[in-house]
Amino acid sequence: MSEKSLIHHIYDGIEEHDNHLPKWWLFILWTTLVFGAGYWFWYHIAEAGPGQLGEYAAESAEHAQRMAGNTPASDDLLLNLVKDPTSLDGGKAVFQSNCAACHGAQGQGLIGPNLTDGFWLHGGAPMAIHKVVAEGAVAKGMPAWERTLGAERVKAVTAYVLTLKGTNAAGGKAPQGEPEQP
Amino acid sequence: MQQQRIVYDDTTVRRFIFAAVVFGIVGMAVGALVASQLAWWQANLGIPYLTYSRLRPLHTNAVIFAFVGNMMFAGVYYSTQRLLKARMASDLLSNIHFWGWQFIIVAAAISLPLGITTSKEYAELEWPIDLAITVIWVVFAINFFWTLAKRNEKNLYVAIWFYIATIITVAVLHIVNSLALPLDGLKSYSVFSGVQDALVQWWYGHNAVAFFLTTPILGIMYYFLPKAAERPVYSYRLSIIHFWALVFIYIWAGPHHLLYTALPDWAQSLGMVFSVMLWAPSWGGMLNGLLTLKGAWHKLRDDPVLKFFIAGVTFYGMATFEGPLLSIKTVSGLAHYTDWIVGHVHGGALGWNGFMAAGMFYWLVPRLYGTKLHSPRSADAHFWLGTVGILLYIVSMWISGINQGLMWRATNADGTLLYPNFVETLLAIRPMYIVRFVGGSMYLVGFCMMAWNLWKTARAGKAVDGETTVIVEEAQAPVPTATTTPAPGWVQVVTGRPLVFAIAILTVTMFLGWAKPVRALVLMGAIVALGELAWIVTRKDREAGRPSWFALIEGRPLAFTVLTLVAILIGGVAELLPTILIQQAVPAHGEAQKPYSPLELQGRDLYVREGCYTCHSQMIRPFVAETQRYGDVSRAEEFIYDHPFQWGSKRTGPDLHRVGGRYPNLWHYTHMMDPRATSPGSNMPPYPWLAENRIRVKDAPKKLSLMRKLGVPYTHTDVDSAEARQKSQGEAIAADLATQGVQVAWDSEMVALVAYLQRLGRGPQDVPATPSEVAPTASAAGAQEGGGR
Repeated sequence: MSEKSLIHHIYDGIEEHDNHLPKWWLFILWTTLVFGAGYWFWYHIAEAGPGQLGEYAAESAEHAQRMAGNTPASDDLLLNLVKDPTSLDGGKAVFQSNCAACHGAQGQGLIGPNLTDGFWLHGGAPMAIHKVVAEGAVAKGMPAWERTLGAERVKAVTAYVLTLKGTNAAGGKAPQGEPEQP
Repeated sequence: MQQQRIVYDDTTVRRFIFAAVVFGIVGMAVGALVASQLAWWQANLGIPYLTYSRLRPLHTNAVIFAFVGNMMFAGVYYSTQRLLKARMASDLLSNIHFWGWQFIIVAAAISLPLGITTSKEYAELEWPIDLAITVIWVVFAINFFWTLAKRNEKNLYVAIWFYIATIITVAVLHIVNSLALPLDGLKSYSVFSGVQDALVQWWYGHNAVAFFLTTPILGIMYYFLPKAAERPVYSYRLSIIHFWALVFIYIWAGPHHLLYTALPDWAQSLGMVFSVMLWAPSWGGMLNGLLTLKGAWHKLRDDPVLKFFIAGVTFYGMATFEGPLLSIKTVSGLAHYTDWIVGHVHGGALGWNGFMAAGMFYWLVPRLYGTKLHSPRSADAHFWLGTVGILLYIVSMWISGINQGLMWRATNADGTLLYPNFVETLLAIRPMYIVRFVGGSMYLVGFCMMAWNLWKTARAGKAVDGETTVIVEEAQAPVPTATTTPAPGWVQVVTGRPLVFAIAILTVTMFLGWAKPVRALVLMGAIVALGELAWIVTRKDREAGRPSWFALIEGRPLAFTVLTLVAILIGGVAELLPTILIQQAVPAHGEAQKPYSPLELQGRDLYVREGCYTCHSQMIRPFVAETQRYGDVSRAEEFIYDHPFQWGSKRTGPDLHRVGGRYPNLWHYTHMMDPRATSPGSNMPPYPWLAENRIRVKDAPKKLSLMRKLGVPYTHTDVDSAEARQKSQGEAIAADLATQGVQVAWDSEMVALVAYLQRLGRGPQDVPATPSEVAPTASAAGAQEGGGR
């Protein structure tokens, strides 16, 4: 970088050199220009790369594969989970962080119904509860949780809810729905 | 030979500095307050006017337009007069400019806390203030260009180029982005909607950063840095190349704010590619600043002014490297909506703008008052306090942003979200919010020390106006470029080789937009060949000692201005026009593409008023982690009736695009009254006044007919039945809440906002009145024609 001569103008005492552009700066300039042209060519002229929805489709397919290993829920599976203390601990944690805001920390009901009184709006059988947790009850304002929580957490929290049944927590919300048929 | 004495108008400069310092303190204090509100929600104090979501726009507007704006005007007024050897053309216009701008700032400071806002970021001010901004900006432009016309210096120094680019580009950006139809004196709706509005907004938003926070400050750097360092500018040719590259490329980069959104892929790619190409032109400015100090680095040790300038330029280099990096789609996928972006802009705002301002003030104020700086030691302390403050700020935001971005997408082995509860990701970064508050506060304390120091300096001296003498006859003396003038000037300008080559290359490049691979390769070859030819020809010309075309246009402000305007229009037109045309062709179908019900529309205005968009996005990006958390990917056609769009740019809270129907009305009521009742750990402010305030029932039909003018397919029947529909929907929600023991009036703001939230991501949630239910009116016949769009 040699100091080139000053150019002739002086503006309010400010002089200007006319140094060459630094080589590394030119390198960055040209590299980014070539990258830009190449990127445009690849995605929009040759259309060799997928668009963002194409990328999403690929990611979704991969995700579906990862989920494929899950055992589908059933009454027996859920009742077995009720006997599994590790799963119940996990279910309780999920309940506290996601469900307690509406159903109360003891399941006594706040915005959502009381889960401890033996009355159910959509049935109290294991798979009936699982369905409501997984798919929601949109008309009643119950969100569908399986998409966000994933199948395993939904099973665990359903099992935990089964343990609340009949605990009749103090200060519970008035019963809603039908008493569970034995 | 006649000598003319010129006294510069430095009173205006002093005023602008005073205003910049005062509003700088205000803007930064509000910033510290909103930062504390994010760490401690109680700091919202339960007062609507002091709630985060209303103050955040005040903070951004105050810092950008009040602090940097006034600082920029001070620097422009001071340096322009000296670089042109002319007093500002009109003292009256200077006065109108100064007082008008302060009036606008006060109007903003009152209207934003009141919730009077358009919700378009950094353009939140409502239409009467927008008009005032336009008028004052034009006054500034007239004053500036008139001074150019009266100048006693033939050629324009690089600082002036940047001022020209600033003035014309900000005018174009402000006018286009503010286009709106007013409902009343305080409320208007953007003429653009959805994707279109998003693109126009971020074309504006990004270039507000470029042409309000960058180009004028570069001009100021080009004047004050060599002055303070008493060294020549490093490279004239670098200044030419980086100026033209910057103004041409910058304008394209806006879509990088919308990567992975519903914006078409091609526009996203343009935004990304041009942002990456901005790296070198930006660093050209940094280099010309830093290398000007070559041979004078020792001065850094004792001169606080140079310390601020060099640190400021270095932060500029950092921010303009980070910008292109964040514009790469993959990086944006992680960083968008997180605090990383907040850290990035503060690296620019605190480091570049704030430090360049401080350097300029410390250099200027002693000269404007004919004295020495009161306390260089205090200025030194300010420098270190500020630097540590910035570093705490940006490092905490890097950690917070990357951390939260990774938590949002973290999955278990079976593909489920590791942190399905949004609040978990918020609690994880809370310590960083406290560090950020500390860093920002340190910076503010340093700034207050500067205010005190400048005040003491001014009090110690006496206001003096700079002056110079020019020799009138010699000002007409031939300048080197004019020695041989065979053709009229404008012909030389138009036929100049750099221009001809630029046009040729741009024309060929344009066809790349449609070309198939083989033809594209040929075109690219042609571009390279043209570039090579231009290079050879330029070199030959220089060796032959022919006058430079650039030197020619530097003596012709009109030509220079027109060329700059063309350079910034190309990118804007190329991106905006196709999007606007495509948008109109989108067919309306599906539930989510039905216009809002009257009550939902009222609720939407409350969502805008309270500034929900400052923390909640409405744009689900195509990532599995995102669709698991929020629902299906957002699609462009779902937003066609959104005047203005509400995609947001930050997720301090979760995305809301598909929140409709997810929770019961009672959940929303409870959440708005006390967010922690439904979301323990949340830092959202409570909005209890929504339950008390009433909506203006009579506005519903007015709003519908205004939306009709904007192209939303409401029928006349819809307009006529708006009040009745509004009431029935409101009563249904109020009745539902009443069954759960909550009493709110059907026309409370709460009910309207709940109606809007329950509709998001799906169709209108009321039963539209069928024509038979509505008393037949004269306009019923018109409903038919109005129905088809």
